[in-house]
Amino acid sequence: MDSLVTAAARSLALGDPLGALNRVALREDPAALALRGIAMAQLGDLPRARELLRRAARAFGAREPVARARCLVAQAEIALVSRDLAEPMRALGTARAVLEAHGDRANAAHAGYLEARCLLLIGRLDEAGRVLDSIDADALPPVSRPGAWLVAAGIAMRRIEAEPARAALDRAARAARRIAVPALVAEVERAAQAFEAPAARLHARGEGRLLLLGDVEAVLASDMLVVDACRNLVHAGDKVVPLSSRPVLFALARALALAWPGDVSREELLIQAFRARQADESHRGRLRVEIGRLRAELGPLAELHATEGGFLLQPRGDGASVGLLLPPHEEEHAALLALLADGEAWSSSALALALGVSARTVQRALEALAAAGKADCFGRGRACRWTARQVPGFPTSLLLPAALPVG
Amino acid sequence: MKPRTAEILREFGPFPEVDAVHGVGFDGRRVWFASGDRVNALDPDSGEIVDAVEVPAHAGTTFDGAHLFQIAEAVIRKIDPRTGKVLATIPAPGGGGDSGLAWAEGSLWVGQYRERKIHQVDPDTGAILRTIDSDRFVTGVTWIDGELWHATSQADASDIRRIDHRSGAVLDRIDMPAGIGVSGLDSDGGGRFFCGGGTSGKLRVVRRPA
Repeated sequence: MDSLVTAAARSLALGDPLGALNRVALREDPAALALRGIAMAQLGDLPRARELLRRAARAFGAREPVARARCLVAQAEIALVSRDLAEPMRALGTARAVLEAHGDRANAAHAGYLEARCLLLIGRLDEAGRVLDSIDADALPPVSRPGAWLVAAGIAMRRIEAEPARAALDRAARAARRIAVPALVAEVERAAQAFEAPAARLHARGEGRLLLLGDVEAVLASDMLVVDACRNLVHAGDKVVPLSSRPVLFALARALALAWPGDVSREELLIQAFRARQADESHRGRLRVEIGRLRAELGPLAELHATEGGFLLQPRGDGASVGLLLPPHEEEHAALLALLADGEAWSSSALALALGVSARTVQRALEALAAAGKADCFGRGRACRWTARQVPGFPTSLLLPAALPVG
Repeated sequence: MKPRTAEILREFGPFPEVDAVHGVGFDGRRVWFASGDRVNALDPDSGEIVDAVEVPAHAGTTFDGAHLFQIAEAVIRKIDPRTGKVLATIPAPGGGGDSGLAWAEGSLWVGQYRERKIHQVDPDTGAILRTIDSDRFVTGVTWIDGELWHATSQADASDIRRIDHRSGAVLDRIDMPAGIGVSGLDSDGGGRFFCGGGTSGKLRVVRRPA
């Protein structure tokens, strides 16, 4: 590494991107391009940063694989911050392997953390957990540690495991305080506040109450039959019936759970499940079919009894009750958020199909949710996928902490 | 010429408040090494840092018998090591692309990292007297008993080589073990090289072939 590159890298490490740019602004060699790219990223000009890093990676080429891999990690981090998630998924694994093979433990660990963060954002929780476990924690740069713990917290929160989530948030807070970056401390505090806020509302026997994540966990662990409208599934003990791809069946289950221990009239079920205004014979026939399907799906968890006026949900097991788990606040596009809340990455056409509305309607709703910070999309065109942002946000102010070139 | 593998005799560091070791120079007793915002003097027997001069220090370091010379950004400073006073400043020949620095025969010898060159420079004016080409990125540079040695780094491998100062031909080569780079380079004039370890923050002693 040469003298001005060393001086510029020191400026960046001291949080002075303008000082770094002053030193290498006119240079076109790959090390200078990479430093300029990182400085531009820290200054918030992500398109320019991406272009500079792309040129740096190309100029390093196959002859300087470690320097090139560091540029790829930096590009992936920019793509991740821009929520363009398909791109980092392609590059990170390869770059990480190169860095590991050449003994660059810090940058390899940072690449692994980014990969886990990316997997969490697109709802691949098991893979995110595996990648996070595989990181060399001692080698992880200090500024990446709070983010890595936030990923661990996010995985636990999506899995509704309150204690591991709380422990990870505590460790994120300690890691953030240790390096004393105010933006990062604030980020972790926001995540902790989200964790302390009600996660759901439980409606049981005509009464509703708000639940923290730990309460949700307790309810799911009890013998209560829970119709979960946050994730569109039915849950009893260790048995789970997912219904996120069966919106009609879920609507029926939801109406039956809300009325329990009472029954629900056929007319009411028709209105809930088919949005039918008045019941005719064809609707009644369709209701019979759908009730039959729901009975088959819920077989291990509950029975469906026909009553004089309609149907009654009866959980299996003595003394078992029924509850309906709802999002904590009634909000617009709740049905859409409920579908997204399963953690999967949905295409807008699949959402339209599941909700029985037009693609244009879904698109408008998704754009409104994205503008409100409640949903994220990644990929472009036909490959575009949507997820709910119900897990902690991620620090973006610490872009590229460990990508400095070394001699 | 048969390349050999470096024999590392001793490692110093990493040291507190030293992120990286850049230039390395030997004054007969102590090893001076550049670490960004100062040049540290290490006693190679005890391994202790016994003195330091606070001056910008981003690349090569050398000693002419009385003064320290230190590259920072795009200049070379001439420093009194006892007082830390900067006595003179000349432009560095690579305009900031400079890496290693050595003193010999009344001239400064400056490595230009990515250009793969070593320049002979007038220590009073900074004028380039002549230029030797290498075929690898040049890091440290040193002269021992009329022999020109320099360290290289490329494709994530590093070596220390003796070259013909007229033709640039490689006469001898010591390969560093995988994953170990050399930034600055100097010798004690006898059997030891002192090698900066870049961002590892270490200073290593490598056996010089007889």
